[in-house]
Amino acid sequence: MILQINFKSGMPIYLQIVDQVRAAAASGALRPGEALPSIRPLAEELRVNRNTIAKAYTELESQGVIETLPGRGCFLKENQSALRKKARRELLIEHIDQVVVQAHHLQVPHDEFLELIRGRLDVLDDKRRAHENHKED
Amino acid sequence: MKSPTPVIQIENLSYAYGRAEAVHDLSLTVEPGRCYGIFGRNGAGKTTTIKCLLNLLRPQSGQVRVFGLDPAKHEVEVKRLLSYVPDQVAFYPWMSVRETLDYLASFRAQWNRQTEQELLERFQLDPAQRTGNLSKGQRTQVALVAAVCPETDLLVLDEPTSGLDPIVRREFIAAVIGAYQQGVPGKRTILVSTHLISEFEGLIDEFTLIDHGRTVLTLDADQARERYQKIRARFAQSPPEIDLRTALRVRRDGRELELIANGSGPELMERLREHNPESLTTESLTLEEIFVATLKS
Repeated sequence: MILQINFKSGMPIYLQIVDQVRAAAASGALRPGEALPSIRPLAEELRVNRNTIAKAYTELESQGVIETLPGRGCFLKENQSALRKKARRELLIEHIDQVVVQAHHLQVPHDEFLELIRGRLDVLDDKRRAHENHKED
Repeated sequence: MKSPTPVIQIENLSYAYGRAEAVHDLSLTVEPGRCYGIFGRNGAGKTTTIKCLLNLLRPQSGQVRVFGLDPAKHEVEVKRLLSYVPDQVAFYPWMSVRETLDYLASFRAQWNRQTEQELLERFQLDPAQRTGNLSKGQRTQVALVAAVCPETDLLVLDEPTSGLDPIVRREFIAAVIGAYQQGVPGKRTILVSTHLISEFEGLIDEFTLIDHGRTVLTLDADQARERYQKIRARFAQSPPEIDLRTALRVRRDGRELELIANGSGPELMERLREHNPESLTTESLTLEEIFVATLKS
């Protein structure tokens, strides 16, 4: 799991870490039972205050995403399926919102926009099918 | 609940070198466990302020307190509780790194040998080397080792990374985070003065921006990045007349507008949106950009 801080996002640093850990859990980049980086090396690598990492981990713990095992560190909790679904949707909604705003600026009407999305889903399906056929040959 | 004694409290501090006023009516408070930045251009009064905390200069008016103590009256107690990396590091050039650290350790009640060893290895410093033969970067590294090992509650860094190459700067900051910040959370406090703000961006909890010896801005770092926004809008025709007086700065270029907002971002976005821009984007300012925007406006 590689984390990255963006000082231009306007979001507090500890919340960026919380979001990215949740996203990693949702995408499978971090699996249940896997260890999170410990505070010191992570703080050094990201060059952020240790207290910020500690605050992020405390928040993740109170959200039930991770658990702290004394003397061993922080681990992603088992049974994240509910969270995974929710987190996945949240992640996707973020991206969709950006595209929706872009469509608004480009003055693309709703019907046309939805049609475009359907079209792109078809293109992706075709590509995948072509790829599978290719493998079978 | 009574709030804990601030680690540093400066009230209405003024100091002049002859007729040249270096610091004027400056106030700031640093709470325990924080990493506090003093940002300012060269000659803004950063070093003078720090020297008043260390009793290297006596305030001409106002007062300074470190751990609630007056550094002029309780110099030894105050110095026991803090360590300091000055902007110009000087050691006895004939002493080796080993001798220098032993000499400095002899003034301290406590000295973490293990941390010392770790840092010497991390910086690849040769203990047998004479300090007179060290580069500027290496001398600063030795000064940091000497500042971290006594495990004081307050670490004062005065322009620690200026004049160092980017690799050494990064290593320096990682060492501050890794070696100094260990220990009881919320106890180790850092005061850093710098104009190389982006280096310290992730470390800073709160900052004061000073210019010509005066406080221009004091803010929590996360709040600052939330408040200061850069907004870009592009219109189909040249931009219509829009009331943008609440913007800190406005730049026009053909059909494009770029605004810097201080807290008024959402309101300005709303105004721009009413005129159906072709594109409208926003991003936060980094602390360095806030520094530039504030001092140039």
